[in-house]
Amino acid sequence: MNVIETHQLSRRFGRLEAVHGLDLVVPKGVVFALLGPNGAGKSTTIKMLMNLLPSTSGTAQVLGVDSRKLSPRELARIGYVAESMDLPEWMTVRQFLDYCRPFYPTWDTALEKKLLADFELPEPRKLKHLSRGMRMKTALIAALAYHPELLILDEPFSGLDPVVRDDFTRGLIEVSAQGEWTIFVSSHDIEDIERLADWIGVIENGRLRFAEELESLQRRFRRIEVTRASTTPAPQTRPATWLNYEESGLMARFIDSDYAVGDTEKRCADIFPGGTVTATPVPLREIYVTLAHASRGKAA
Amino acid sequence: MLPFSIELRPGLPLTEQIVYAVKKAVVSGQMRPGDTFPSVRQLSQDLRINPNTAHKVIAALVQEKVLITTPAVGSLVAAPEDGNRKERAALLGLELERAVVEAKRLGLTLDEVRDGLEIHWKKLSPPTQK
Repeated sequence: MNVIETHQLSRRFGRLEAVHGLDLVVPKGVVFALLGPNGAGKSTTIKMLMNLLPSTSGTAQVLGVDSRKLSPRELARIGYVAESMDLPEWMTVRQFLDYCRPFYPTWDTALEKKLLADFELPEPRKLKHLSRGMRMKTALIAALAYHPELLILDEPFSGLDPVVRDDFTRGLIEVSAQGEWTIFVSSHDIEDIERLADWIGVIENGRLRFAEELESLQRRFRRIEVTRASTTPAPQTRPATWLNYEESGLMARFIDSDYAVGDTEKRCADIFPGGTVTATPVPLREIYVTLAHASRGKAA
Repeated sequence: MLPFSIELRPGLPLTEQIVYAVKKAVVSGQMRPGDTFPSVRQLSQDLRINPNTAHKVIAALVQEKVLITTPAVGSLVAAPEDGNRKERAALLGLELERAVVEAKRLGLTLDEVRDGLEIHWKKLSPPTQK
């Protein structure tokens, strides 16, 4: 079963189309990262999934239920932490957690205590007197302590210092190792989630550009550099999977988006007889930028 | 602490990188047969990786017979296989071919390649076998 499934999910704000025809599938048990620049439609998507915002058209299923019909029963199985979350500022950390606990039959007090200690949160302090990072960590404890089946995080890392980010990541892994769950996390910064995610979806201008398993993405992308033999002319036509093709002197450089050991080298040998080929892995950040450029080129 | 050295680099699939680091640690003697191997939990906590990935790493290492799993103890470093040496040598074929292509491209002689190979061979040999 898929934990999240949307069909042509769309949302307009007046004339602005914030999310357009989104078809998203998040399988059970994965960490799915929704990447995209600020204003791409990530938060709008998440708010529709959480039924905090109605869609203009299309549907979303979360844990098998239409998102517009999510009841407290389903919400008790979903953890949600958003960058822009409103917390009851007047409460202390202790009071806030005491307040949340009764809503969740599966609340794990031992886990709550462990996370409080790991995160070094001052229990008697009021939320309004906490730093941004501490508030996010408090919100995370309130979302993790009941072992949700689905955890939805909206830009959890933005504006956090590296130590807090690391605490945050460790907290996620800690709970992750305790049982099967699915994480759906949005971010505008790839490096935040490169180690954690197994699926990557990229959204731009409200449209999903692609969604794919991270390992398959990393396997099929390589930066290729060919040094042509001086006698071979530069090719007139090239495979469509060669992106960002550039030439300078005898050097040709591009990103192959359909790399396979041996095949790519053979293809290069056909196109550049006598040339030498090197293939190097491409960091996710570069894959992301390359694909963004490629899809823009196609749209134009 | 993890019993093998690793520095994760962006771009390459994590599973491949970790599997490689473990194999290297085993052949170099950093880990010996019978040593306990970290659990999924420890691997994911220490490397800050998704437990799914840690799970895949251990499954791959078990499949390649680098590790053996026992229900009570967890995973252990396996004793090197005797098996069919010819078959195992064949597995190396592609890697060797690549090294040869690269060496010829750089205009190196067979002796120079042999010397280079020997340096790496010695570097990775467990201290007791020196």
